[in-house]
Amino acid sequence: MLAISTTELSKEFRAGRGRDRRRVEAVRDITFTVERGERLAYIGPNGAGKSTSIKMLTGILHPTRGEATVLGLVPWTQRRELARRIGTLFGQRSQLWFELTTRQTLHLLARIYRLDAGDARRRTDELAELLDATDLIDQPVRSLSLGQRMRCELAATVLHGPEVLFLDEPTIGLDLIAKQRFREMVVRLNEERGTTVFLTSHDVADIEHVADRVVVINGGTIIYDDQVGRMRRSLLQTKLLEVRFEEAPGPLEIDGVQVTRESDTVYGLVVDTRRLSVREVLDELLDNHAIADISVVDPPLEQVISEIYGGRT
Amino acid sequence: MSALLAQVHLSARRAMRQRGELAVRVAFYALILVIFSALWSAATKANGGSIAGYTAHSLLWYVAAAEGSVIATKPRMIEAIGWDISSGAIVTEMLRPASVVGLRLAAELGEALVRLVASLAVGGVIVWLYVGPPPSAAGIALFVPASVLAVGCNLAAQHAFAGAAFWLRDARSTWFLYQKLVFLLGGMLLPLEFLPTGLADVAKALPFAAMAYAPARLASGHVEPWLLAVQAAWLAALLACAGGVFRAGERRLEVVGG
Amino acid sequence: MTVALATLRTAFLEAWSNRRGFWFQIGIMAANDVAWVIFWVLFFRQVGTLKGWDTHKVLLLFAILTTVSGTGLGLFSNSRRLGELIAGGSLDAALALPTNPLTYLLTRRVDTALLGDLAFGPVLFLAAGDPTPERALIFVFGAICGTVVLVGFLVALGSVTLFAGGRGEQADLGFQAILIFASYPIDVFGGLTKLFLFTAVPAAFVTGLPTSLVSSFRWPVALAAVAAAAFFALLAVTTFRIGLRRYSSGALWTRA
Repeated sequence: MLAISTTELSKEFRAGRGRDRRRVEAVRDITFTVERGERLAYIGPNGAGKSTSIKMLTGILHPTRGEATVLGLVPWTQRRELARRIGTLFGQRSQLWFELTTRQTLHLLARIYRLDAGDARRRTDELAELLDATDLIDQPVRSLSLGQRMRCELAATVLHGPEVLFLDEPTIGLDLIAKQRFREMVVRLNEERGTTVFLTSHDVADIEHVADRVVVINGGTIIYDDQVGRMRRSLLQTKLLEVRFEEAPGPLEIDGVQVTRESDTVYGLVVDTRRLSVREVLDELLDNHAIADISVVDPPLEQVISEIYGGRT
Repeated sequence: MSALLAQVHLSARRAMRQRGELAVRVAFYALILVIFSALWSAATKANGGSIAGYTAHSLLWYVAAAEGSVIATKPRMIEAIGWDISSGAIVTEMLRPASVVGLRLAAELGEALVRLVASLAVGGVIVWLYVGPPPSAAGIALFVPASVLAVGCNLAAQHAFAGAAFWLRDARSTWFLYQKLVFLLGGMLLPLEFLPTGLADVAKALPFAAMAYAPARLASGHVEPWLLAVQAAWLAALLACAGGVFRAGERRLEVVGG
Repeated sequence: MTVALATLRTAFLEAWSNRRGFWFQIGIMAANDVAWVIFWVLFFRQVGTLKGWDTHKVLLLFAILTTVSGTGLGLFSNSRRLGELIAGGSLDAALALPTNPLTYLLTRRVDTALLGDLAFGPVLFLAAGDPTPERALIFVFGAICGTVVLVGFLVALGSVTLFAGGRGEQADLGFQAILIFASYPIDVFGGLTKLFLFTAVPAAFVTGLPTSLVSSFRWPVALAAVAAAAFFALLAVTTFRIGLRRYSSGALWTRA
């Protein structure tokens, strides 16, 4: 059985008041399938329709048109039944009770999901170990850092052993290390328990570190749907460097690198990672120039998307 | 001094602009007034026309005046001040070259005056329709300054009370207690003449009486001009108290750290 | 059923987790209630009786009022902020769980301060209400009916947010109004106001009827109390359910 299947899923809202009421199509003709055990990243800029899609798949929102099934159930008509078999983690909303410990929240969730008491206790301990949260779950949630809290949220989300995990922008607000750890946990859950992962994000790094498949949505429609490996090969081949030199280096030429001069001492470099690695560029720069500062970033999502629009390979 | 007056003016203008909020508060006041009018009319009728020296006529004007004077101040101000103090937000105010409590009082006064005028206008109309004009023109003439003094005393006392937050960690729920003291000992819920004689005398000697009883007594037709003097004295004392508490508290913050 | 109880228990645990604040707030509430008792005692000391009401009866009213508000607003404290919760997105969190969203939201939070009322009410009844086992039973019955009406009324008002948007201000106003009117002997009010209190703002069913039942039990009145409770419960559940359907169709949202 497929984990998720949608056919021409569409959602129209009526926005504005009175005379400026107009129809807004938040999401149009979304069609894709997700196999069990897959890790899918559902990527798109803000306002692209990610949240609307995930709300329909979890049964909170009814579509205007189209169909979808999750684990064979129709989300908006079988919400409660589906809720027992999926887990949802919405990045900006907490399901942990703030003044209590995570364990206390899990205790209640066990009742809500009708888990056997002994079973629940065992799962709690297992999850705590799996998510490196053993020393966290007995602390009041309000005393945890955001990164620590997200790991506990994850525990709460999967306590009842869901078959599909919906994560909506879960890494927002986390620092780099916390993000990495969180992604590792999600992959671990998928690999050790076979949980299907459906992750929405506008962070391109989530594609690289979590997903094996990526669907890109923009302006309400899907513009790309492929394995990450293939995307990496065809699209994600640049890295951006911003370099500040101690003194003006003059004209800079490196094969495979596009150089833009932003000022006498600040240069932007676009590295074609097919031709050479960032490391090689850095070595070249550091060997031959006095560098004051360097930063290395992934290309922004907008650039990836415009590449997708520009030329599908 | 001019900084304080400017602050009063500024807050008053702001309060006048927030018409929705003002309307809700005045509607609330009108509702309470309608209920108490019903209550007290029925009560006096059942008692042969007067209770504790008040007729229905004077009682209703009492209630309108007492409620109006008290309701002009925000009910949870003590909570808000306490929060500003315990969260440390007040430290930024300490950086200004003016008295923290002075500016705060001026700001609250501006808003309160707007609310006072709005409430009393509406309350006056309601009670006039119910029982007729105020029992004494002289009383009303004295009532006008008395209501302003009442508001001043209330604001100063609340600031002094809230200043406890400089020392206690969570004094926020105490606004509830303060409110009940004003309601009962201040004569807002019932005229102080309702209290047993000993208690009534004690209540009249407390500052709460200046916040509701004094203006209400005047509006209800009892021309007792010395009440204004009592109010003025309390205002001075409460202002000094509030000032002292805040100064001590600020010094403590500077020494101990926020 | 047990899920609701478990949620309520957890909500209580959360309120209880700040021990010092817990007792402080209960204490303040109790002091507040004592102040009101003093008011009424002083009032009737001067007034004697008023349209069949005296100190005894009004204290009975107050005992009912505090018990009802302690239960409806203390234990099920989200009943009065349902509109606010909906506007803030808490409904989505409730919908993610395999439970009834309304039940979950209502049991999700306990208000410590109002629990003070719940402690005070029965104590006042025992102290001043002339408690016999029979009267105690009627007291409990009356309080339950009153609570259901109060919660039902507030939930119905809050559910309007599902249709019309906003942040639940209408529920806030309704809450203030019903509580004020329910605090005074109903016979004080004139004909038109009294009608109002049996319909638009059902304060009469929250405290008026229950008080009269304890005072002098009459079957027709008891039936009326149950009918009112059933009506408001149904109104609440229906309004919420229909509203939820509108909410799920996205009528409130304008962007993804």
